[in-house]
Amino acid sequence: MIVAELSNRELEQRLNGPGLRLRTGPVVARIQSPLPSIARAIALQYADYATEDEASFSDFRVRVGRPRNLRRWLRPQAQFFVDGNLPFTPLPLDQAFPMLEWGLNWCVSAHCHQFLIFHAAVVEKTGRALILPAPPGSGKSTLCAGLVNRGWRLLSDELTLIDLASCEVVPLPRPVSLKNASIDVIRAFAPAVTIGPTVRDTTKGSVAHMRAPSESVRRGMETARPGWIVLPRYEAGSAARLTSLSKGRGLMHMADNAFNYSAHGRRGFECLAQFVDQSSCYEFAYGDLEEAAAVFNDLAAGP
Amino acid sequence: MVFSPKVRWRAVSADVLAWRDWDCEVVVFNQATGSTHLLGELGGEVFRRLVGAEGGASVDALAAGLTDEPTGADNADWSAAVAGVLSDFARLGLAEPDVS
Amino acid sequence: MPMITAALETPQELVACTLPQWEELIHQARRANLLSRIALDLAELGLLPRVPLAPRAHLEAALVMAAAQMEAVKREVGVLRTVLSTVGVDLVLLKGAAYLIAGLPAARGRVFSDVDILVPSGKLPDVENALMLHGWSTTYHSAYDQRYYRKWMHELPPLRHNTRRTVLDVHHAILPVTARLKPDSAKLLAASRPVGGEDRLRVLCPVDMILHSATHLFHNDDLRQGLRDLADLDSLLRHFGQEPGFWEELPRRAAELDLARPLCYGLRYATRFLGTPVPSEARASADIGRPPRIVGRLMDLLYDRALRPVSPSDAGALTPLSRHALYVRAHWLRMPPLLLAWHLSVKALRREEETTT
Repeated sequence: MIVAELSNRELEQRLNGPGLRLRTGPVVARIQSPLPSIARAIALQYADYATEDEASFSDFRVRVGRPRNLRRWLRPQAQFFVDGNLPFTPLPLDQAFPMLEWGLNWCVSAHCHQFLIFHAAVVEKTGRALILPAPPGSGKSTLCAGLVNRGWRLLSDELTLIDLASCEVVPLPRPVSLKNASIDVIRAFAPAVTIGPTVRDTTKGSVAHMRAPSESVRRGMETARPGWIVLPRYEAGSAARLTSLSKGRGLMHMADNAFNYSAHGRRGFECLAQFVDQSSCYEFAYGDLEEAAAVFNDLAAGP
Repeated sequence: MVFSPKVRWRAVSADVLAWRDWDCEVVVFNQATGSTHLLGELGGEVFRRLVGAEGGASVDALAAGLTDEPTGADNADWSAAVAGVLSDFARLGLAEPDVS
Repeated sequence: MPMITAALETPQELVACTLPQWEELIHQARRANLLSRIALDLAELGLLPRVPLAPRAHLEAALVMAAAQMEAVKREVGVLRTVLSTVGVDLVLLKGAAYLIAGLPAARGRVFSDVDILVPSGKLPDVENALMLHGWSTTYHSAYDQRYYRKWMHELPPLRHNTRRTVLDVHHAILPVTARLKPDSAKLLAASRPVGGEDRLRVLCPVDMILHSATHLFHNDDLRQGLRDLADLDSLLRHFGQEPGFWEELPRRAAELDLARPLCYGLRYATRFLGTPVPSEARASADIGRPPRIVGRLMDLLYDRALRPVSPSDAGALTPLSRHALYVRAHWLRMPPLLLAWHLSVKALRREEETTT
């Protein structure tokens, strides 16, 4: 059963009660929340996603609720629990859904060590993965959102998972988070997409989420082979420029953007090395999203 | 630490090191420290020769292999460069002098 | 009885768990920081292949992390050994690092959050200087915090290494100055034993190690860590309890170190929750340290709550703010600076430096 098949009331009942067991790629999150904004956001962003029944296993139990302190009357807040722990400080109540999204990312990066986990966006075409490792502010989410609207399948906008046994990329399709100017850029770039309400004044500025394409969700169990590793850099006004990067540097950049590479020791190195060996590595500067998409589509058309 | 150019050096055991040789660069993983290193042209070349040399190699031997020039001032420069690389390798735990 | 305590006592029965039961167990184990311990128990019994795939992935992930942390602790101890030798101070390890280097069962499946060492108070300035010189920095930056720690606490403000991002707690006593109990650190150091074949790398003697564990457990603000700490105590008691003369020495030394009360609690709760085998004579001797009846009842209540899984809706009522710091500290493995920046850019991670007021 997918979320869209639940009535609003059923959805709210699950969220308020035993929890909604939501599957996103390889992980199932059991989500509880009494907040109406969360129910609305889930109905919008996760309509196509499968839910699991009660006789199953959830990888995390998360809850977005309101703190029980004096502040709840002065300044409404939301807080994020996972397995009874509070990894984040509370945030203003209107940031509840972004907090859920950050929290779900945190859960994966903290626990899913059956994968090598990288802070990188990843999309797929012709069965091959295009990985965009990058620190915050490099424009990778915008580029990812753009590519997803020009023929690429979304695997993840934030966390790239590489299976240690198969050395393939495992999808984790979730809403794509957009910040500040990117929100309007993507609206203009892909007028047909669904973008949720903009939440202002977060630590990242204004944030909104673009719904993942249905096909990306539907194909959420299909892995991707190594393809390209590209370090993006947005420069306003710049023409698109793709320059080759040595595999050595490609590996080091990936390792620098990994959450758990060191933890896996030699096995992590061997897996990453094998992956990079089968990938082509580049640096990419761009100023225009359409031009960028064209460059990558050319890349995908090649061998 | 200064070592005699005649001292033989060897790469730390292959059980502890894993590496890939891509074009002019070598990426090495050191299990003992958990660190990964990207070796540039000179470092990569010294490393390749070191792992390929059964029984180790001296600074002079490594330097000599890097240049086709006959003995001269240039070789002293190469030896100094190689010695520097080996000193770095020692610090990173990638190689050690054979002081037996 | 909560699933987690049953899992600690009879791991082999876990193979009969249903998927929802596995979910509950992993949830409880995560809360108690005992997931890797359970995973290791199952791995050693050869039972991991019988665990369904989805929960098994989490158990295996916990094993990977535990193994990586063990390697990291060993490296850290190696570096510390060198640093302290520059100022002629022995490296005396406490808690997890001690259990690991001494090869004790208590180190199995352990989550290591930081390294704790014990240093003579007279040598504290030298040690602190040496550590700063070798790349450690303090984590508490306000003058108030620094003064507070140095005046009242039994340890320096936690130190973090600049590049490795590992955390070090330098203790000069095992309880704060403000505590009612006054165990003499000089005695602890005098009775310490060499480990790992080196004279200047040491751990507390067995009885002191146990008393420290009991003291730590019952003076820790964070009750939620209680079960893990109790599991440590249980493991140490089972391991050392077989040594001749141990059970006579334990209450005697407790009295000598003014730690009779913690020992009493320790034995009481270990036997009660984990079924630790303690000879009745030892219980009786330890009972001399028992609290007044009403305090005892209150403690029973508190510890029942701490060791019972709490539903998320209760968590708000029970949670002291200090709980958060511990959870963040548990993620110790070196995070590349870029990734740390990612977490911090969200500005949502509670910093360890934030003190409660």
